[in-house]
Amino acid sequence: MAEEVKQKKEISGTGSLTGEALEAEDVLAGAEEWDPVETKLVLWSFVIAIIALIIGLLVVPTSVFN
Amino acid sequence: MAQPERRWYTGMLTTEDWWAVWLGVGFFFLSLFTLAGVDLVGWITYPTKWVFSPPPEGKGAIGHAFYALGKKYSVTAKGFYKGLGWWSVIWTYVIFTIATCIGAGAMKWNVKRFFVGWTIIYFLTIACWFIGHHAFIAANKLNMRQYGLNFALSLGGGGSFILALIVGLIIGNFFRGFARFLSEAAKPEWYIKTAIVTLGVKLGYLPIKLAGMSQKLGKEAAGLTFELFVAGAAATIVAYMIFWPGVYIISRKIFNLPRKTAAVLGSGISICGVSAAVATGGAVRAKPVVSIMVSALVVVWAVIELIILPGFYTHVWPTTKDPLVAGAAMGMSVKTDGADAAAGELMDEFMRNKIEVETNGAVKWPAGIITSSAVMTKVWIDMFIGIWAFVLAMVWVYRIERRPGEKVPASEVWHRFPKFVLGYFFCWFFLLALYFGPGQSGAPEAMPFLKSVKAGAVPIEKGMRKLFFMLTFMSLGIITDFKKLREAQFGKMVWVYFVSLFFFIIPVAALIAYLFHHGMQIPNIAGYVKP
Repeated sequence: MAEEVKQKKEISGTGSLTGEALEAEDVLAGAEEWDPVETKLVLWSFVIAIIALIIGLLVVPTSVFN
Repeated sequence: MAQPERRWYTGMLTTEDWWAVWLGVGFFFLSLFTLAGVDLVGWITYPTKWVFSPPPEGKGAIGHAFYALGKKYSVTAKGFYKGLGWWSVIWTYVIFTIATCIGAGAMKWNVKRFFVGWTIIYFLTIACWFIGHHAFIAANKLNMRQYGLNFALSLGGGGSFILALIVGLIIGNFFRGFARFLSEAAKPEWYIKTAIVTLGVKLGYLPIKLAGMSQKLGKEAAGLTFELFVAGAAATIVAYMIFWPGVYIISRKIFNLPRKTAAVLGSGISICGVSAAVATGGAVRAKPVVSIMVSALVVVWAVIELIILPGFYTHVWPTTKDPLVAGAAMGMSVKTDGADAAAGELMDEFMRNKIEVETNGAVKWPAGIITSSAVMTKVWIDMFIGIWAFVLAMVWVYRIERRPGEKVPASEVWHRFPKFVLGYFFCWFFLLALYFGPGQSGAPEAMPFLKSVKAGAVPIEKGMRKLFFMLTFMSLGIITDFKKLREAQFGKMVWVYFVSLFFFIIPVAALIAYLFHHGMQIPNIAGYVKP
């Protein structure tokens, strides 16, 4: 039994899409505290988006700026 | 976390990830034999719309419901492939069965069980593909009369995907014993990764296809397609870098979801649906149920978008004043390739009809340009699947899951890297090299060469890719047990998706599409075509 649980944990940690690995576990519960690294991740995404937007609007011939 | 026994080449013959590469790249190489005058892939089967009783001068004979793609595209063996017809289904079965059974054997699966399961899943998939192409389901209001119909659902190829998913879900939820029997061959992850590798062929083939289109449509259209290419790239980068963190914040802050679930949802809702959800699930090591839930949601919501958006963009905003804004917005909003192309095509028809009526025939647009604008942004979005999966894998390995004092070996990044992405980029760049090298960037004197490339590429990017998408939807349904999803509070995710899609993704996509595509004009061909 313990071996089976261990094996299931190993499968579930791979991100693999298989019927065997499909647990009925609640994956929506147990939210972790917001971590500063998540702030960095989303902020950097937005920063890249703004830079890409400015460059794009200036460079792309069909943008509203041109 | 460190696993010193693993080498860089570990898993090359034993994982689905690598076998997606071998299958995709292997058949891609077979397709290149067309350059030597030998067509080895023209047998790949493809469905077309049909009806039981086609009108005397109409289309849709049931005997032509499946054909070998070589019939249309082969340069050297058109006659041979023309004769295959429905037999192309058997050719496709035999050849892909051999290839997948070799893979199953190498991955140490039960080959006998895989073979039986694969055979059942393959023919169920073909049946859904066939039924889904009945003109009542697949035709639209413009071409339904060719099939003798007065009404059609206008679902295009999307109807087959929905049908495959429904059949799979029925098996998975009402015939659980049968589903368990099929489980050895119900491998959505393997099939979709293979489809993504062949998506690389589609990307590399795009300039080759456009080179043909440009000649056909003339200089004006060539300029327009290039502008769409550039504008689509810029719009997609901006949109994507806003979508993902936005959905992540909504999931984490408003719906209080765990990080991994929020990451997979962010990718699934923002990028390319099923593919992105699977790739991100693998990158952050999310539990499989998360990818399955998100994939199922993507399919369902894509169908809802397919029904709502073409009419909304045509009649409410931006209407025929900005048709390419509508196309680009569609590409950024609809999260499956099939549904996006179908929605784009539907809107293409709505818009062309509308402008013709509005101007009393003074303005006519060539078919397919609005569809191209929808597909163009989608293609760019597809490219981000691998890149973003890689970035997330880096962030998760180096930042989020790193514990104090623990050293993360550099090799871990490689082991988490979605390997199928390599196949995807390889096929893409290889075809680009052919296009810019011997293809002379589409120069007229190189067209015979590019036509040979096309003859090989189309069966892979069209036939094999769609087949593996179909197999994915079927398999996804088979392994999806709603009982388990219900226990995992599936309903909450539906709301996350709804809020993110309608209050964030669609408005932002429309705004960005406007910023980059506003004012782009489609050539008026009214003077060149019969009234």
